[in-house]
Amino acid sequence: MIRLRRLFARLRGLFGNVRREEALEREIATHLALLEDEFRNKGLPPGEARLAARRAYGGVEQAKQLHREERSYQGLAQAAQDIRYAFRQLSRARGFTVAAVTTLALGIGANTTIFSVINAVLLKPLSYPDPDRIVQFLVTYSNASVPGTSVPDFHLWQQQTRAFQDVSAYDFGEHGLNLTGNVPERVRGLHVTAGYFRLFGAPMFLGRTFTAEEDSLNGGRVVVISYNLWKRKFAADPEIAGKTISLENEPFTVLGVTGRRFQTEPVADVWVPFQFDPNSNDRAHYFQAAGRLKPGVTLDQANAQLTLAANEFHRKYPLADPELGYRVEPLRDAVVRDARSSLFMIGIAVSFVLLIACANVANLLLVRATARKREFAIRAALGAARGRILRQLLTESILLSLTGGVLGLVLGLVGVRALLAVSPGNIPRIGENGSPVGLDWRVLAFTLAVSLFTGILFGLFPALGASRPDLNGALKESGNRQGSGFRQSKARSLLVVSEVSLAIMLLIGAALLIRTFVALRAVNPGFDSHNVLTMDMSLAGAHYAKTANVTRLVRDVSQRLNGIPGVEVSAATCCPPLESRLGLPFNIIGRPLGNSTETGDGLWMDVSPGYFGIFKIPILRGRDFTQQDDAGAPPVVLINETMARRFWPGRDPIGEQIIIGKNIGPAFKDAPRQIIGIVADTRDADLSVVPENSMIIPQAQEPDGITALGLQFGPIVWLIRTRVEPHQVAATVVEQLRQASGGLPVARIRSMDEVVLRSIARQDFNMLLLTIFAASALLLAAIGIYGVMAYSVAQRSQEIGIRMAFGADRATIRNLVMRQGMLLTIAGVLFGVGAALGLTRLIASFLFGVKALDPVVFLLVPALLTSVALLAVWVPARRASHLDPIRALHIE
Amino acid sequence: MPSKDKESIQLLQGTLDLIVLRTLASMGSQHAYQIATRLQQVSDRLLNLNQGTLYPALVRLEQYGWINGAWEKTESNRDAKYYTITKAGQKALSRETARWRKLAGLVELLLVEEP
Repeated sequence: MIRLRRLFARLRGLFGNVRREEALEREIATHLALLEDEFRNKGLPPGEARLAARRAYGGVEQAKQLHREERSYQGLAQAAQDIRYAFRQLSRARGFTVAAVTTLALGIGANTTIFSVINAVLLKPLSYPDPDRIVQFLVTYSNASVPGTSVPDFHLWQQQTRAFQDVSAYDFGEHGLNLTGNVPERVRGLHVTAGYFRLFGAPMFLGRTFTAEEDSLNGGRVVVISYNLWKRKFAADPEIAGKTISLENEPFTVLGVTGRRFQTEPVADVWVPFQFDPNSNDRAHYFQAAGRLKPGVTLDQANAQLTLAANEFHRKYPLADPELGYRVEPLRDAVVRDARSSLFMIGIAVSFVLLIACANVANLLLVRATARKREFAIRAALGAARGRILRQLLTESILLSLTGGVLGLVLGLVGVRALLAVSPGNIPRIGENGSPVGLDWRVLAFTLAVSLFTGILFGLFPALGASRPDLNGALKESGNRQGSGFRQSKARSLLVVSEVSLAIMLLIGAALLIRTFVALRAVNPGFDSHNVLTMDMSLAGAHYAKTANVTRLVRDVSQRLNGIPGVEVSAATCCPPLESRLGLPFNIIGRPLGNSTETGDGLWMDVSPGYFGIFKIPILRGRDFTQQDDAGAPPVVLINETMARRFWPGRDPIGEQIIIGKNIGPAFKDAPRQIIGIVADTRDADLSVVPENSMIIPQAQEPDGITALGLQFGPIVWLIRTRVEPHQVAATVVEQLRQASGGLPVARIRSMDEVVLRSIARQDFNMLLLTIFAASALLLAAIGIYGVMAYSVAQRSQEIGIRMAFGADRATIRNLVMRQGMLLTIAGVLFGVGAALGLTRLIASFLFGVKALDPVVFLLVPALLTSVALLAVWVPARRASHLDPIRALHIE
Repeated sequence: MPSKDKESIQLLQGTLDLIVLRTLASMGSQHAYQIATRLQQVSDRLLNLNQGTLYPALVRLEQYGWINGAWEKTESNRDAKYYTITKAGQKALSRETARWRKLAGLVELLLVEEP
């Protein structure tokens, strides 16, 4: 109670100070007068009486100050004072302020930009209820764990009810569905199981989601649609639930519309039930699964439970890969997996840039502190405590950094838009327009924290030096010349050395990524992507579950397309280069298996005749597919060079037979195929990945089971080699495809060159950012070196004058300065290279075609920085050597 | 600043408040000079404190609401701030006095007990 009352009294004491000071003044005056009277009454003469009164009273100013401190919160009042004073100081030194604030704004802005992205991708929780409990299921092999899974796996996971609930399957969303009707349109579709909507907490705007019965075999054709699709395509019909819409020319009953904000990864407009066969033994991996940890169950417990489930799987399928296992990880980790390490690398790089910017501002402050030395000395002499001066200086630097921070926030928000404009667009969780990236409390808090931190970081160092003035020296010295003292110049040298070493690290990182960029472009992918047009079409309807119907369409399309002027040849495939393919085991007929159940694994694809011509992939031996390799002809297969070399070393595989996909499940049942040729290797998974074993079969001979499964979860891809620029024929091709397919829409119309570029876009993006950061670092470091040397020359002009007077020639003077500057640079380079030797290991996974300790990079980068530094030092050195000794000596 | 005079006693933290309260309680309304003079008289100059140090104590006690200040004229027709003890101040005085006695007694006891 008393305390509270006092608190208010003291807070009130912060205001109305003038009145209170006056009252205090009056009270003290009376007191002194009375004391003086007392001494005069004792017989002292008036002058002595006044002095005696003062003595008895003690220090008047001290008493006043004690009174003030008792009266109110002086700390706050002083802070306000400090801020006012700092404002005055900074607005007076306009050039310095502009330079410092700009440097900081750029540094903080860049960091805000990157943090905004990191925030949206890595930090923001997923927008589902209790998202930390949602886990993604992974199938693990000896060398990898992947989300792709099969129906038997999924059913096993659903049975682990002690650890999980709402275990749900959903596909990878790579395909679209054709919303047929008056104007057919391809929409993003997702097959999901009934628990999916509960797992992700889908709010329903209208109607309901599907029941377990509707998600079972023969559960009927039902669909849930998104709010956006409902608005756009169905005119926001409030009576839509229960109505029928047409998907792939088949009637589907709409059950409901999801809430406006509901968005999933992968994104979808329509959701249809999987309707798995509970007795399926089909072990094709074509969808993914997630679930929710039961309350109280930890990730480790869940994984232990899954180990048991994997054992059960192996008992049921003794022929399966013995290494196969199960694992879960938090869904968020699964979603952002690839982006995390990239973002961390970029985040570290950008924070280096800020550190270098801080070093430069600290340098400016050191120079300023020297110039203001007398000011501090006078304040100290007038009784300012060291802490008070320190606080004053820190207030100035924090004011600087906060101003930089506010500007940086604005720059950062602009930067985010620029960044997203150049980004490859495949950053997870960002969406297509980057709308989730924006200002929120985390970004604001980050920018504020970074601003305060940088303010203290670059301010404390100079402030500590400046607040410890040598009063005698500072006051006696007449001019500004003193202060080039040892401590000061040591501090500046340290700053230069550290910024050079930071710049070296960034430059080495950027150089390694640039070499990766060059190496990736130099890769011969083994196929010619020029003048190739690609587009795809969803054939998910029941009609195309039969290979024969697809073959008929493919032949018709080929005839139509080949007749278009400008088209050389066309073909169809499930899996064009640089997209995912099916992995299947194979057995070589007549070859003993030993302990294994199969000879090996390979990537599988089907193509229609003409495919190899389109990409100019040479047939090394044997023959290409022809129209005669159809359903009625003997089954044939082509293999690639790698597979031939691995499995038929020094022998001729042509004429031998393999059987593909044995023991995998009924959908993959296939006849033995005769190898009719060997095709050249292509890097068609990823340019940076060495070719895998490949098996290619003619489309017309594809087993019905694979056709049905493949087209339900992925489109058919049309490929056209053109004689002209590919997009020129696109409109005609689309029209012909529409006519041939009875009105089906096509999507993803791209040239193959675009596809190739997109496949290395992530590396390009990393390289671009790191190069920008490294270039800024180089520039900042050069400015830093220049600043320090220029200042040092100015400080030493008298010394230089004396040296010249004693006969030193220009070259000697120049070398003196150059030596000093280059020694600092070389020290920084050595530190930087040392640190980089350890650090580049961390970016090894981003590199291709270059080692983390690439000698070229580790030699060229220091050489580059040293030459830039040479230039930065040469300017002040030249100025020093051209000093007029007479004037230099007269300056003081 | 406390005097360095050998004879004089340095005040313990917080005791000045008690002494001021006590003075006002027994003498009635007083201004700062009167309080200071009174302190010196009572302590027989053993308590040699700068009179200026009284001011922080006065402002503190005023903010606690234990004393009230009001401007009046002195006999010599000067403006002075006269302080009076309040009801809350009376209560605080008896509380603090009791506590002081307890403390002093305890210290005395310990000093006697020491061999």
